[in-house]
Amino acid sequence: MEKYKYISQEWAAEAYRRLRQELTAAKMKFVTSSMLTLNTNCPDGKDRAVYYRFENGVVDEVSICEGDFPKAEFTISGDYETFARISRAEIGSRSALMSGKLRLRGNMVKALSLAAVVDRMNGVLATIPTEY
Amino acid sequence: MTEQKYDPYFIDFPARIQRIQEEMGRRDIDVYLGSRLRTLSWTLDAFCPWRSYIVIPLQGLPTAFTFVIDASRVGDDSWLDPEHILGYAPMGGQDQISVISDLILQYLESGKGTVGIESGMAPYLPEGNLTHYEYECFHDALPDASLVNAHDIIDQLSLIKEFGEINRSREASRIVDVGHQAVYEAIKDGGYHGMTETEIAGLAAYVMRKEGSEWEWSFTAGNEIASGYRTGLAGGACTPASRKELKAGEPFMVDLHAMFRLCLGDHSHNYLLGPATERQRWHAQNFVDLVRLCLNTYKPGMTPSTIADELMEFCEEANFAEYMVPGFEHGIGMMGDEWRIGMNDGPFPYWTNPDHVYQPNHVLICAMQYACPEENIGFRYENPILITKDGCEPLSKFPLGIEEI
Repeated sequence: MEKYKYISQEWAAEAYRRLRQELTAAKMKFVTSSMLTLNTNCPDGKDRAVYYRFENGVVDEVSICEGDFPKAEFTISGDYETFARISRAEIGSRSALMSGKLRLRGNMVKALSLAAVVDRMNGVLATIPTEY
Repeated sequence: MTEQKYDPYFIDFPARIQRIQEEMGRRDIDVYLGSRLRTLSWTLDAFCPWRSYIVIPLQGLPTAFTFVIDASRVGDDSWLDPEHILGYAPMGGQDQISVISDLILQYLESGKGTVGIESGMAPYLPEGNLTHYEYECFHDALPDASLVNAHDIIDQLSLIKEFGEINRSREASRIVDVGHQAVYEAIKDGGYHGMTETEIAGLAAYVMRKEGSEWEWSFTAGNEIASGYRTGLAGGACTPASRKELKAGEPFMVDLHAMFRLCLGDHSHNYLLGPATERQRWHAQNFVDLVRLCLNTYKPGMTPSTIADELMEFCEEANFAEYMVPGFEHGIGMMGDEWRIGMNDGPFPYWTNPDHVYQPNHVLICAMQYACPEENIGFRYENPILITKDGCEPLSKFPLGIEEI
């Protein structure tokens, strides 16, 4: 089975395809928002982010950014290894946030109401055969 | 003019924020970080029972932060939109220090500037000054900013009460009066037999809630009820209701608290549960005479000192000065504004300045405590009064007296 390099353009394209295919607008609570997951200390020493944009519950964009990061309604930042462990389902994203391994920027109240949506997204992303 | 402005309880909160910002500008303060309960009520028009903060930039809307479990409700109650009422939680980047300092940094050029904070002390437990720990954390999170104590901005601006605020206080007092009437109806003709102080507190609370009171706001355990020896505890003026049963021949004190749109009602009324002795009646008459004189004494230009001097002279002449606690007022305003009157400019920091000069549209509690512990008798009077052009208006209208039941 083909494996995608984590946070590569190919991985982003596959994420986009799977998210659109598997998550209906209703499952995404018809959300219009944007989210940036900022991975610091990637294996090549760089910081790299995945930018997600949703329009009325439809995933509109999944892209990889370096250097200048776009503004997003929510930014979750943390070490590459932490995101990789979440992606491998070794730790939960919630416990990573609660223990301070991840940092969230954005309206906490709104973030709470979208927690289930993010869980669903993570569930789909975890199915991507990934090479770290 | 919008429909909202016909609301007799309308308060122009954006104008309040603007007045704070103008004063910040005069003092070169870039951001105001409020944490006191009085500040939150006065700026947000929402009750903040959890540790909360308001960040006021030099221009534009403020943003408030409260514990995330209550942020939506505070947002629903406040005039601010939900985007300006945020939650904090024990989560990476969302703890109160991180989330607030992140926002403050957005208002400071290169992280430099002056942040006004609220520091001090108070006999009032939920005052809400920034704690030492919080101060150190913000100091570390904002290394290039200077933190200066600026609570007097709010203290000054909140001194003179606005039309809507006065009307809210009037309504809170009306509700308290309904509570007093209900207590009277319950205890009259021997109805008090078998009742306890806590029961009286509860029945008054129920009736006042039915009238629209939001809660029995006082941190002294809500409605304060005392009977018998508890009315006359030496120098005392704080009596959370106990399980003590009301008994014939004892004095009985009912101190009720109601809140209407964050403004506070606070009125105490006293009874003698019959049969009363001549000596009890003598005490009661002293107290009623004193209250009447006190209400006639409050007017613009008077100070806590001049009022205390006049009243204590009367007590001395009538031979009951030893039973009086020599203070005749405490502060009142929107929730959290209790105890201290006026500015922090007296001889004892963070206590009422005895030389504070009353002006029209000040609202305070006319408060008196009479206590004769050796005879197990005491009385309390409290009533919010509005200083008018030439006197004062007691906001609670329940008739003054000490009835024998």
